[in-house]
Amino acid sequence: MDRNQIGKWLKNPGKMANKYSFHVVYFCTGCGIIEIPPSITTRWDAERFGIIPVATPRQANLFLITGYVSTKTLKAIIRTYEQMPEPKYTVAFGSCPINGGMYYDSYNTIKSLDKYIPVDGYIAGCMPRPEAIFIGVTHLWKLIDMDKADGYKRYREDYEFYRENQEQLFGELDWPPLFKNKSS
Amino acid sequence: MSLELLLIIAFGGAFLVYFLAKISPKLRDGFAVFISLLVLLIITSIYGKNIEKTFYRGFLGLPLVLRINMLSWLFAMVISSIGSLSVIFSLSYIRHEEKTDFYYLMLLLVNSAMLGIVLTGDLASFFIFWEIMSWTTFFIICYKRGPALAAGMKYIVISIIGSIAMFIGVLSIQTKFDTLIISELSAKFASASPGYILFILITFGIGFGVKSAVVPLHTWLPDAHSQAPTPFSAVLSGVLTKMGIYGFILFFYFIIGLNKFLGLGPDVFNLHYILCWIGAITIVIPTFIALLQNDAKRLLAWHSIGQIGYIILGISIGTSMGIASGIFHMLNHATFKALLFLTVGAVEYRTNGVRDLNSLGGLAKRMPVTFIGALIGALGIIGVPLTNGFVSKWMIYKTLILNTHPFLAFAALLGTWGTILSLYKFVHHIFLGQLPEKFKNIQKAPFNMQFSFIILSMVIILFGILPGIPLKVINSIIGSAGFSTLNISIWGIASETGTLNTINIFTVILGVGVIVWLIFNGARQTTKVDQYDNYAAGSAIPEGKYSYTVSFYRPLDRMIRPYLKDFVDEFYLKLSEWTQTICDGVRRIYTGYVGNYVMYIVLFMAFLILIQLKWSVF
Amino acid sequence: MNIIAMFISPLIALITGMFFLGIFRKIMARLQWRYGPPVIQPVIDVIRSFSQMSISHGSLFDFGIILSLTGSFVLILFLPIGELCPFTSGGLIAFIYLMLLDPLGMALSGAAAANPNSSIGISRKFLLSLAYEVPLLLVLLAVMTRYNTISLVEIVKIQASTGWAFGSWTLVLSGIAYFLILPAILGVRPFEVVKASQEISSGPIAEFGGKHLAFSTLQHALHMFVGLALFVDIFLGGWTLFGLLDPLSGTVWAVILGIVIFLLKMIVVLVIEIFINAVYPRYRIEQAMKYLWKWPTLISFIGLIIVVLAN
Repeated sequence: MDRNQIGKWLKNPGKMANKYSFHVVYFCTGCGIIEIPPSITTRWDAERFGIIPVATPRQANLFLITGYVSTKTLKAIIRTYEQMPEPKYTVAFGSCPINGGMYYDSYNTIKSLDKYIPVDGYIAGCMPRPEAIFIGVTHLWKLIDMDKADGYKRYREDYEFYRENQEQLFGELDWPPLFKNKSS
Repeated sequence: MSLELLLIIAFGGAFLVYFLAKISPKLRDGFAVFISLLVLLIITSIYGKNIEKTFYRGFLGLPLVLRINMLSWLFAMVISSIGSLSVIFSLSYIRHEEKTDFYYLMLLLVNSAMLGIVLTGDLASFFIFWEIMSWTTFFIICYKRGPALAAGMKYIVISIIGSIAMFIGVLSIQTKFDTLIISELSAKFASASPGYILFILITFGIGFGVKSAVVPLHTWLPDAHSQAPTPFSAVLSGVLTKMGIYGFILFFYFIIGLNKFLGLGPDVFNLHYILCWIGAITIVIPTFIALLQNDAKRLLAWHSIGQIGYIILGISIGTSMGIASGIFHMLNHATFKALLFLTVGAVEYRTNGVRDLNSLGGLAKRMPVTFIGALIGALGIIGVPLTNGFVSKWMIYKTLILNTHPFLAFAALLGTWGTILSLYKFVHHIFLGQLPEKFKNIQKAPFNMQFSFIILSMVIILFGILPGIPLKVINSIIGSAGFSTLNISIWGIASETGTLNTINIFTVILGVGVIVWLIFNGARQTTKVDQYDNYAAGSAIPEGKYSYTVSFYRPLDRMIRPYLKDFVDEFYLKLSEWTQTICDGVRRIYTGYVGNYVMYIVLFMAFLILIQLKWSVF
Repeated sequence: MNIIAMFISPLIALITGMFFLGIFRKIMARLQWRYGPPVIQPVIDVIRSFSQMSISHGSLFDFGIILSLTGSFVLILFLPIGELCPFTSGGLIAFIYLMLLDPLGMALSGAAAANPNSSIGISRKFLLSLAYEVPLLLVLLAVMTRYNTISLVEIVKIQASTGWAFGSWTLVLSGIAYFLILPAILGVRPFEVVKASQEISSGPIAEFGGKHLAFSTLQHALHMFVGLALFVDIFLGGWTLFGLLDPLSGTVWAVILGIVIFLLKMIVVLVIEIFINAVYPRYRIEQAMKYLWKWPTLISFIGLIIVVLAN
């Protein structure tokens, strides 16, 4: 960790602060949530990385998709993701968000989450152990350093793409579009 | 400009408005506003004069005296200003009702009667004007019919009891001292015995206590203030209750005299100390009853009783800072109570009569000026620094703490916290929270209502930052009452045990506020979202159901509701039922059968003959 | 001197407040056998919040949080920190009233957010304030009556000559009562009902993002500072240390040492409060109110009677 390197802090305090203070939305999205309480309690202490769960998405900047996503949960996930302030990062656990995983032939799960909300990184495992979660967090730090963790920018620029996919799945959405249409 | 001309203008103007209303409504409106503003201007112009004028062909051979001194001037200013603001407010409020001419007549008559009370110099005309004020108030309280009639009946019955007690006092003074002129009475009372003074204080005290709603004479106030039309509720709460306070000050310090008043009664149970405790109870209990109410006007009405307790506490404590704070709080309470009632009136007007706190919400976005007025009024009552309520409360706490009455100070401070809770509930339920769908398109309050709010808010803040302006007037009042005057400057009060410098507080808050605001604006810009883009744990917001208003203080409610029933009200109801039962029983002698009546006559004659034979009385 | 004090006081308060938040989390973690975040973690959180975008529910939403932070800074300026007290107008009574600006701003902001979680949080905040104000007022009235003054600076100066108020036999009961209600004033467990994360989604700050959250964290730090500083000033003698510093009085060294001693006393009280926070769970609001109106009120009431009789 370069948490104590003053030079880097003085050059770009916003980026460094975004790295070392991840407030996680405490949203239990799927089966993987069972791995979150061990990682924030005493044995695998997540608070030393600066990670702490908060109550509302308005105060958060990291969204963990812990496992498979059913269509019912996807509505809540999209609403929650849109309520988070930018810059925000999404990390998905397991193989279900990548290609459907164990539920590849189910009518009710989402096979490819990246079509509906942008995902910055995936952590392998069904469910990943807390050590794997921490290695994933350090990889996310590297991505933020290299300015590659730009899921929120993708959401802002390609919003029509995401909105179209959401409307194709749900039909009429009962929340208005988050960003106005840019003239092509 | 003489005083009798002022009273003739006030009364005559009222009747003239009634007759002009028959010609055209616009003429009535304009003339009503003209008369009230004219009265206000005349009173402003006679500032500082000390006139006393006697008429020798008065009522029943008694001389009638009109006079004005600083105390009367202050009260007259409060009466006429709140009165004229209320008339301006009524221009649009009353427009759609029936019998509006009668309303204006009675409103102006009440104002004139109150002016008469503070401008008299003798007790006979005081009583006459007091009575005029009482029954004109009764007419307006019953204006809207329905439950207002019951409220009005309760008011007039209790008021008549007070007036009878006062009349007994007036008769007793006339027979004992053979004069009713106030300036002569202060000399005569120096030779009266303490028992007689106590009797006079009790009789007049019941009369004044009914009007100013001291516990246990307060039971008419919640019903009457909530059922009256709102601009008149503002006058009722703001000014009418102060007439009792005027009577108290007149009697305690100008007729009976400072030293005699403070020396009444044995050492620990001094009369003024008992009055302080009555004031303390009046502060605490009604303020906490207020926070359990669900009707906006009833909440404010119960609150008024609580604030009167502060004034009684201030007047009775016997130090110069105490009485100064009592009079100042009287002035302040008139401004903020009137402001709060008028904001409720504006909301009522726009939502077609909705007053129930649980059905409103979120109106701050649609009625911003009304909201700011209500907020400043609420901050004033709570006593946030920079409002005039803070200065008067600071003064009363200082005098209580430094004269070692910590338990009274504790009661007063507890009242402040009750105030905070109930006023926050008031502002939150009406103006904050989610806006219901049916009120999505209501318009702002009309300009004449906004005008009243702006004037009153500016007065609250001006007197908060520069309290020296009213304190100068109050200083001369307490000087003439025999106290030592305070050391005041335009921005504060200095004394050897702690100074108050409101300009300091103002500049600090302003300076820090500006710096914080600059930092806030310098950070990243925000995007505006509407009320339906809200955190609901990922679900959609249910329309109309996403506001927390019912049982707002439920834990406190459950704990204190059993102790806060209005015991006095139930006691009076039981008393009236008991009287009715007894009278029902006595009524049975009227059987309608003439033979019974002849028997009564014969028996009574026999009884008289028996007494004559035995004891030869006749 | 006053001008310098006007700028140094808020700075000291802000830095120490954030430091207190940091060691709060660190000591809690160590008590739970974890490592815990670094002590400057709250500073990192604030910087991160400032760099985020935020939403706003209207101008009242913005105004409320500005008022709240203004109120906290104004309180710092009216509080004697060490020997520095830039403004003393109005004394302790004005101080009690200025403590109202803080929750009022938060209440306006939270209610403008139109979220029932915020409204529940605010109603709990006012109920808890009413609950702890009853014993707190009795305690403050006892101190003011005993020393016959309403000025905070006077109270500290009298303690410099007559010893700490906590040690004098007339005020020891009031001191104990104040210590019993101190967790409620600071908002640590078992009285952490206002910002209860799990029950009401963090209460009034539910809709705060970005810079609003940063301001709210700063306000929390300052609020903790003021709560501890008031206790130290009134009962633990402020900046004095049993008169050991009298030879140096009047010099700059005395001022600096005074501030250092003041902060050390505050850290001692803070560590005791952290231990209490680590042990207890969270009360429900009616349990909190019943507790605060039972023993602390009784003890402070007896304390007030003792002071009145001793005067």
